[in-house]
Amino acid sequence: MRVTQSMLSNNMLRNLSSSYQSLGKYMDQLSTGKKINRPSDDPVVAMKGMDYRTQVNQIEQFERNIGEVHNWMDNSDSALSEVQNGLERLRELAVQASNGTYEEGQRANIAEEVEQLKEHLLEVANTKVNNKYIFSGTATTGNGGKEPYQLDGDGSFVNPINNDDVTIEVSSGTKIRVNVEPDSVFTEDLFQDLTDFADMLKDENASEKDISQFITEIDGHIDNNVNARADLGARQNRIDLIENRVSAQLVTAQDMMSENEDADMEQVIMNLTSQEAVHRAALSAGSRVIQPTLLDFLS
Amino acid sequence: MSSTFSGLEVAKRALNTQQSALYTTGHNIANANTEGYTRQRVNMSQTAPFPPASRNRPEIPGQVGSGVEVGSIERVRDSFIDKQYRQENSKVGFYESKADTMSKLESILNEPTDQGLSSAYDQFWQSLQDLSVNPEDSGARSVVKERANALADAFNYVDSSLEDVRANLKNEIGVNNSKINSLIDQINELNGQISNVEPHGYVPNDLYDERDRLVDELSSYVDIKVDYRKSSGQPSPIAQGIATITLVTDNEDVENDDGEPITLVDGSAGADLGSDQSVNHIFSDFDDDNNLKAIFFDSPNSDLTVEEQTAQLAADYDNQAFIYGGNFDVQGKLNALIDGAGYLDGFSYDGTDTGTAAGEINEMLADIDKMVEHFVTEFNAVHQTGYTLATDQDGNAMQGGEFFTGTTADTIAVSQDILDDVDLIAASSTGASGDGGNATALADVYTKRVENFLSYDAGDANQLDDKATIKSYFESIIGEMGVVAEESNRMYNNSQILRQQVEESRQSISSVSLDEEMTNMIQFQHAYNAAARNMTVVDEMLDKIINNMGLVGR
Repeated sequence: MRVTQSMLSNNMLRNLSSSYQSLGKYMDQLSTGKKINRPSDDPVVAMKGMDYRTQVNQIEQFERNIGEVHNWMDNSDSALSEVQNGLERLRELAVQASNGTYEEGQRANIAEEVEQLKEHLLEVANTKVNNKYIFSGTATTGNGGKEPYQLDGDGSFVNPINNDDVTIEVSSGTKIRVNVEPDSVFTEDLFQDLTDFADMLKDENASEKDISQFITEIDGHIDNNVNARADLGARQNRIDLIENRVSAQLVTAQDMMSENEDADMEQVIMNLTSQEAVHRAALSAGSRVIQPTLLDFLS
Repeated sequence: MSSTFSGLEVAKRALNTQQSALYTTGHNIANANTEGYTRQRVNMSQTAPFPPASRNRPEIPGQVGSGVEVGSIERVRDSFIDKQYRQENSKVGFYESKADTMSKLESILNEPTDQGLSSAYDQFWQSLQDLSVNPEDSGARSVVKERANALADAFNYVDSSLEDVRANLKNEIGVNNSKINSLIDQINELNGQISNVEPHGYVPNDLYDERDRLVDELSSYVDIKVDYRKSSGQPSPIAQGIATITLVTDNEDVENDDGEPITLVDGSAGADLGSDQSVNHIFSDFDDDNNLKAIFFDSPNSDLTVEEQTAQLAADYDNQAFIYGGNFDVQGKLNALIDGAGYLDGFSYDGTDTGTAAGEINEMLADIDKMVEHFVTEFNAVHQTGYTLATDQDGNAMQGGEFFTGTTADTIAVSQDILDDVDLIAASSTGASGDGGNATALADVYTKRVENFLSYDAGDANQLDDKATIKSYFESIIGEMGVVAEESNRMYNNSQILRQQVEESRQSISSVSLDEEMTNMIQFQHAYNAAARNMTVVDEMLDKIINNMGLVGR
């Protein structure tokens, strides 16, 4: 084949430009850290990339949701532990009062304390965390803007208590109940019993037997409370498991994302270096081939 | 006997001829870097020997040669390679333009990154999850509102950017049309000049070069076929003739709607070469949405602007030859631009069909609109089953209204009610303020299967596949675009390599090699010197005859 100067210089230009193109590609990979920069570089990687990004995003969100779950559960638990203390004190008082040796004045004092404890339990029932009533089912902003637990004169609830589950999604499709069902602890019975207890203590004619029946009642409420805490504890255990799983998922998802689209730095740097060498060789070869013609040797 | 002075004549012819060869060598060297230049070669031939065979020829033994003359000066070129080159050039033009359009689409959709549509969606999803956890929180509600705004904006942006690209591509088609028309005019002009020179027996090599260069350029816009007709008069046998250029696809003539081939430059015997009557310019008729309706081919009318003439041609379509946009499949840059910018498929001027918008960008817009429509419809449907924080006169929680308005990427927006009052976001599925069930359901819209949509109508042909989700549908849009772009890039590279190879073979035949020209120069110079020497010898011989003959003994 006949080869001419213009062919040589055209070829050289073409080779140099394709060499620059490769250099550019490796530079891109190096500076972005990504294997691909646009879908056409590798459509499959691009599609998977979109998927993994969403996945990572979602898992991060679920971690955030789990934080909120802890918030609910820890606060509920500490509230219930206060309830526990209150109920135990009430039981002590019931035992004391049923002793029979107490006089009227002393019973009245006990009645006073019972009243106070009732108020305290009412306050605990109206616990607000993050501006939410946590023992009010899904009516977290209260009943019509008012506190959920209010008693009328005879000790019964003013408002019906919302007993619905508050659920939070903690991983795709898994929703977990985060609240304590109000009617498992703060029942109408509880407050009715305490009202009756105080009334009984104030009643001069009340017998020891009348009073000691409240010990059983209070034991029943203590049982309820313990059950609610046990249930909560079980759910806390479950959320810990889920949390571990979700954080493991996050690592896996990030791994897969990185595997999918991140450039292998060592490889890219090697490629860049060898491409650079090729480029230098092309330049130097070009400068040798382009220069001389027969003209240079004729005199 | 031949003439006494015939030796001088032989030497003179040699001098003249070698001189011509040297001049041609000079011309080659001078044009070594001229684009489209083909090296020229002097075809030397022997002149008629003496005596010619005839009745009263002198009785001498044998014929004596009478020297050399310049037979012709010819371009060294292979017309078969030209044809190959132009075929490949059309492909390069097509895929280059297509790859360019696709790369613009890729930049606009900007996936997979943290700035694209899908990340706007991910953020919206996150805000809905936050809302489901804190449904009574007005902060979480505001975030949902803003993220929804951001998502709507992202759709609006993609739509308007795609429309911008479309408008640019349409302008590019216009620019290409005038470029093609100008090339056609120039080729026609050269046809006229060549037809003036050839009848006298000359071979206008430089005009051929220029014409071939223009034809090469034209071939990147549209696939063409070139036929040649001999000039009238006494053309040299190596004269190339007058070119007629017709549109082809896959080596077949392209037919207009009357079933006739489309001639861009008419070099036939009846044509008035070089005049407006012997060319057909391209006129593109667009609808209001920048979709190509049809391409007309007609002689230019200098009294009218291009727009006026296009309008006139379209109005009088019965009398005009044209190709509908959907039928134009001539490979080349023009076709790729039309494919990108959009055309009306199945359109007909007689009103029987209004046509459907087709082409890369139209399809992309339609795909995204379909996704938006499904998303908005389903999102609103789910939203309307939920309850807001606001209450009606009886104190009951109100059900949600429309969350998004609009059903296309262009019109999607967050409803004014929600913008005015974030309490109207229906996060609750029961009406209780602390219930975030509906917010979770709203978040799920993006990733739930279409068959589970509240608003799904399996009978509607426009519905997404029932196994698809909005998210997977969007991924498939991006994937499809990626594959098309990847293929255009690959085909662009491949066709470029093929064109390079053909160009290489062409250069190998036609381009100027300085070494070779230098060698030729030396060769011709020596021949010239030798001829001069020969003349001196003849001169000395004649001197002997004239001045020294018959002087015996003196």
